[in-house]
Amino acid sequence: MMESDISIVVLSLQIALIATAVTVPVAMLVALLLSRKNFRGRFVLDVFVSLPLALPPVVIGYVLLWIVGTNSWLGQLEKLLFGSTIAFTWIAAALAAGVVSLPLIVRSFTVALDGVDPRLEAAARGLGAGPLRVFFAVTLPLAYRGVIAGSLLGFVRALSEFGATIVVAGNIPGQTQTVPSAIFTRISSGDMDAAWRLAFVSIALAVVTLGVHNWLLRRALGRMSSNSGIRQ
Amino acid sequence: MISFELQITRPGFSLDVAGEFGEGITSIFGPSGAGKTTLLNCLSGLVRPTSGFIEVNGNQIYSEASNVWIEPEKRRFGMVYQEGVLFPHLTVKQNIEFGWKLIPHSDRHLNPLEITEILGLYDLQSRMPEELSGGERQRVAISRAIALSPKLLLLDEPLASLDVPSKTSIINYLRRVHDEFNIPMIYVSHSVSEVLSLASSAMLIKDGKGKGFGRPADLLLAASVNGSGLDMFENIMEGVVAGSAEHLTKVRVAQIEIAVRKQNKKVGDKVLLSVGANQLIITPEEPKLLSARNVLKGCVKEIWSNNGEALAEVDIGSKIMVELTEASVKDLGIVVGQEVFLVFKSSSVKVFDA
Repeated sequence: MMESDISIVVLSLQIALIATAVTVPVAMLVALLLSRKNFRGRFVLDVFVSLPLALPPVVIGYVLLWIVGTNSWLGQLEKLLFGSTIAFTWIAAALAAGVVSLPLIVRSFTVALDGVDPRLEAAARGLGAGPLRVFFAVTLPLAYRGVIAGSLLGFVRALSEFGATIVVAGNIPGQTQTVPSAIFTRISSGDMDAAWRLAFVSIALAVVTLGVHNWLLRRALGRMSSNSGIRQ
Repeated sequence: MISFELQITRPGFSLDVAGEFGEGITSIFGPSGAGKTTLLNCLSGLVRPTSGFIEVNGNQIYSEASNVWIEPEKRRFGMVYQEGVLFPHLTVKQNIEFGWKLIPHSDRHLNPLEITEILGLYDLQSRMPEELSGGERQRVAISRAIALSPKLLLLDEPLASLDVPSKTSIINYLRRVHDEFNIPMIYVSHSVSEVLSLASSAMLIKDGKGKGFGRPADLLLAASVNGSGLDMFENIMEGVVAGSAEHLTKVRVAQIEIAVRKQNKKVGDKVLLSVGANQLIITPEEPKLLSARNVLKGCVKEIWSNNGEALAEVDIGSKIMVELTEASVKDLGIVVGQEVFLVFKSSSVKVFDA
C-alpha cells in the first residue's frame, strides 16, 4: 500500500466512525419508539427511516445537497456557524454515510429490542428504576449483542457509501475522497493496480466486520431462544 | 392500608372496581379475563386508569380529579409475576438486590441476606436464573420484591406455572414472609386452593366489576368460581418428622401427630403435608376400629354452605378445611363450636420437602 492509499483509508474510517457514532443514538431512539410505543404516525416514521434503503443513493445525496446547500435556511445557519456551508466537506460525507446507514441500524436495533421481554422492563420500573436506568440496566445489557451487530452493519454501510457522498460531498482528495470514490477515480483514469489495492482493502474490511456481525447476531439469537427465566 | 376506586373504559373492556384493603393477605380472585391483572397493573402504576383514585396509608398516589399520578418506580410496591420475570443477565443475588440498591439507605428496612436465608436461597446466590427450577425462580422473585421494603406486595398468579410440590412450598414460604415481614399483600389468583390457604380476605371480580368482598370461604362458595371448585382445595401444613415405624412415618404438626406413608427421612427433617379437603371424613363421635391411621380431635370453627356443597373449618391445632355436603352437615347435626373427629388415611397425605 502506498502512503496516499493509507491516508484515503484513514479518512474513510474517520468519516464512517463519526457517521456511525452520530447515527447509533438516533437509531436507538427511533428503534425504541418503533419497538416499545404504539403511537399515531408510527407507520409514517417506519417508512421514513427505511426510505434511504429503497432510494437510489444519488437521490439521497441530491436531497441532502438541497437541504444543506447554500440557498436553504439550514445553509444560512451553517454559514453562520462554520463560515461556509457543509456541502463538499467531510461533514457532508459523514452526513451522507449516516443517512444511508440509518435504516440498517434501526432495523437491527428494533429486532434486538423486540427480543427483550417488556415485562422485564416493567419489573425494573416496579423495583424503582426510572426509564433511563431501565434502559441502561436491563434493556441494553439484554440487547447489546444485537446493538453491536447493528452498529457494525451500519459502519460497513457507511464505509462503502458512494452515491450520496459524491453528490453532497464531492470527491476532493484529502478532504472528501473516501475509499469508494478513490476507487472510482482510479478506474476512470485507468489506474487498475491502484484501484485493486483499495478494492482489496474494502473487501478485507467488509469481510472482517460482517464476520463479527454474524457471529454476534448468532449469539444474540441463541440468547433469545434460550430459556432465560421466562418460558416463551 | 390501600383504598382505591378505579374505572377503565376501553372498547371491548371495562373495569369498575373499588376496594379498601388492610393488613394481611387480600386475594383478588375471579375467572380469567375478569380484569384481575389489569387491576393489579393499575395499582402498580403500569396502567393508568381512565378515572378514579388510589390512596396508600392516607397518601394519594393517583387521582384523576386532582391529576396526581405517581410513576411505578416511585410507588415502592413489590411485584411478583406469574413466571418470575427475573433479569436473565443478573445472578440471583443481583436480582434480589436490584430494587434494594435503588432505595435510600434510610428506607432499607430489610436485609437482602436475611431474606435470602428465609426463602432458602442462600446457596443459590451466585446462580443465573436459567439454572433455577420454577419454584426457585419464584422464590427469587418474591425475595426481590420484599428486599424493596415495599409498602405493599402485589402478587399476580405467582403459582400458576408451578408443579404441585413447588406450589405447596411457595405457599408455605409466602405464609412465612407474611409472618416475618408483616407486609400487606394483594394476591391475584383464580385458584380456590391458594386463596383459601393464604388470604384473610378476598375480593371477587367478574367481567371487570367487583362482585363482593369478605372472608375467602364465604365468597368462594357464593361464587363457585371453578364450578364445584372446592374439591381441589388442599390443606397445607408444615411439620417435622417425629419417627418411623415399619410402614408409617409420623409427622409432628403443631401439637398433633399425623401418620403418613413411610418416608425416607430422618427424625427432625422438615416436611410439608398436603391433604385434600375431599380426603377427610368428619364425625361427631370418636370412631373405633378403623383402618384409617389418622383420627384427630378438633373443634368446628365455621361452616359455609351453598348449593348443596358445604365447607367446614376445623381446628385440630392447625386449621383444616373439610369438604362435605349440606345434607351430611344436617344429618350429623354438625354446628359451630362442636367437638368432632377428622379421619383420613395415611396414604391421603402427600409429603413434600420443606
